[in-house]
Amino acid sequence: MSKNTIPVGPFHPLLEEAEYFTLQVDGETVVDIDLDIGWMHRGHEFISEQKTFTQSIYLVERICGICSTSHPIACVHAIEDVCNVEIPERACYIRTLVGELERIHSHLLWLGLAGHFIGYDTVWMWAWKYREPVLQMFEIISGNRNHYGMMRVGGVAKDVDPAAVPELSKILDMIEKKMIMIAKVANDDPVLKSRLVNVGVLSKQDAINFCAVGPTSRASGVPADVRRDEPNDAYGLVDFKVIVTENGDVYDKLVVRVLEIIESIKIVRQCLDKLANIQGPILNNVKEIPPGEGIGRYEAPRGEVFHYVRTDGTNRPIRHKVRAPSFVNIPTFMASCKGIPIADALITLAAVDPCYCCTERSLKVVDHNRDSLNINLLAASRTRTEEIRREIHGR
Amino acid sequence: MGWYNKRLAKSIWVFHVSASPCNNCDIEILDLLTPYYDIERFGIKLVGSIRHADVLLLSGIVNQKVGPMVQRIYQQAPKPVFVVGVGTCPSSGCCFNDSYNISQNREEFIPIDLYIPGCPPKPEAMIEGVVKLVEVLNG
Amino acid sequence: MDRTDEFLKEMGNKISEQIRKPKRLYFRVENKDLLEVVEYLFKKMACRLSTATATEVHRGIEVLYQFSHDASGCYFCPRVVMTDLKNPVMSSITPVVRGAEWIEREMFDFWGIKFEGHPRMEPLLAREHPKGLGHPYRFRRTT
Repeated sequence: MSKNTIPVGPFHPLLEEAEYFTLQVDGETVVDIDLDIGWMHRGHEFISEQKTFTQSIYLVERICGICSTSHPIACVHAIEDVCNVEIPERACYIRTLVGELERIHSHLLWLGLAGHFIGYDTVWMWAWKYREPVLQMFEIISGNRNHYGMMRVGGVAKDVDPAAVPELSKILDMIEKKMIMIAKVANDDPVLKSRLVNVGVLSKQDAINFCAVGPTSRASGVPADVRRDEPNDAYGLVDFKVIVTENGDVYDKLVVRVLEIIESIKIVRQCLDKLANIQGPILNNVKEIPPGEGIGRYEAPRGEVFHYVRTDGTNRPIRHKVRAPSFVNIPTFMASCKGIPIADALITLAAVDPCYCCTERSLKVVDHNRDSLNINLLAASRTRTEEIRREIHGR
Repeated sequence: MGWYNKRLAKSIWVFHVSASPCNNCDIEILDLLTPYYDIERFGIKLVGSIRHADVLLLSGIVNQKVGPMVQRIYQQAPKPVFVVGVGTCPSSGCCFNDSYNISQNREEFIPIDLYIPGCPPKPEAMIEGVVKLVEVLNG
Repeated sequence: MDRTDEFLKEMGNKISEQIRKPKRLYFRVENKDLLEVVEYLFKKMACRLSTATATEVHRGIEVLYQFSHDASGCYFCPRVVMTDLKNPVMSSITPVVRGAEWIEREMFDFWGIKFEGHPRMEPLLAREHPKGLGHPYRFRRTT
């Protein structure tokens, strides 16, 4: 049979971001895959060298909108590794709290998109419905739904209001109930199983050779987790399990993520309990940053985020290297996509939760001729949103 | 075009173009479709093909590599089509203005009709932006 | 379990310019010894390649590989220095560590470093770029 080439992208209805795959197919089977990236390249490392350390944190937050607190945490770890600063205990718990909440929302986001990719939109709608309360928790903690701006060198920027803790716990209880339900659904849903089991298998040896990180490698049986291996912040003080499965197929990646959500809820609860009791400062002032090199890392939802900072004693880094988890996870496609049907290829491509951005108020036009219908539309939207909010929280 | 635009305003079909964003605006756009905000009840629908679209939602700084592709997408769209720039990036470049890969003049690739600033804009702000567009279309 | 001492005992004669910090070991390796050191780190000690960082400094271009020893949380960072700024060449570690393929291609994009023995030495991010990225991270840009 002759080989054909199927291009996917750069703008494809299934792809959230612009990227370009070339699938070489023989009949229905994928024999080779090639990727062209760079559509999202914005040059963060270059810009970061022109910014001060505090400005850099604002910048690295905008590497990716989904892991938008993992990059700042890794960045401040790198800078703290250069200057050996102690972090106050309360700040440790706040960092862990924000980081784990982000893991919950990111895994739910992936679960929804995975459902969308296999044409099972019910999963998409359900997962994203329960993701919304997590974003509300972020709004209570940091004031923004995404891009929290919480991290500083030597601590955190904003304290968690003790008065808000009971409300946060209440939302968390609700999420936990639903997550246990979703875990049960994932365990015995025939559609998910028939579509995902034994699809896109990444063997343990391949995961090691490609240096895969995060849920991608843990689903293949490589028990690496930065939270346990290098317990920064409050990870040494809280109790959690590292989820590892053996098969390496897409279903196992789903199981790892769903179980990790439940572990994260456990960590968040421990942090909230501690925050109600511990008082104290949240930020240690750092007077100067000496010349040197520092490595900072953090277990983002997708895997290990790696930041390397090299300083020369001024207020700017001379080199700031960022390695996002997707950058090492995406090449595993070359191992996991070969020999599977085209229909399974896209869910395999989505299974590592690729984030290509990592690998990178309304303005009025006219303010007259206001139509009464449109104002009603907006008002109707707000009323409906409030209704749903009440329905979910039961108040 | 007044008559046509009025018809267009009844049910806007949007196509989402991500031109080197940070992903955040994109997930907030998808958020609009999910049960919490559910803009499909107003007839606003995300479509898979540019040929069906009335409005392009553009997010990101439009870097030099993706720029020509965005231009091609815009040329393929049936006219009239309106372009909404979602987020701070299409309007001002956010914090990426010092980059070597940013296209300084995004208008050369794609003309933008409406900006919704915010990093990222809240879903409510996006709904308000689209409502403003509907107002303009209705004349 | 810190295996830094064990590593220094085995490979001590091949490395220089040691900087030792808690859980971090930076050292310089000559280009000809690089593959041997990397093979020891990756195969014998089961380290994982986190990434590699190139930096242009006054003495030349430095490439710093970062190997993470996950069981102990230590980092081993071999550094290779290239003084030829016009035509920087070093040996590729992709034949040993498959995961280094994209990392080295990215450095080829940004610094113009040629990796000998790399299976596919072509730009990664600047592929089909209409204007070409040039080498934006070098002190004197070529574009």
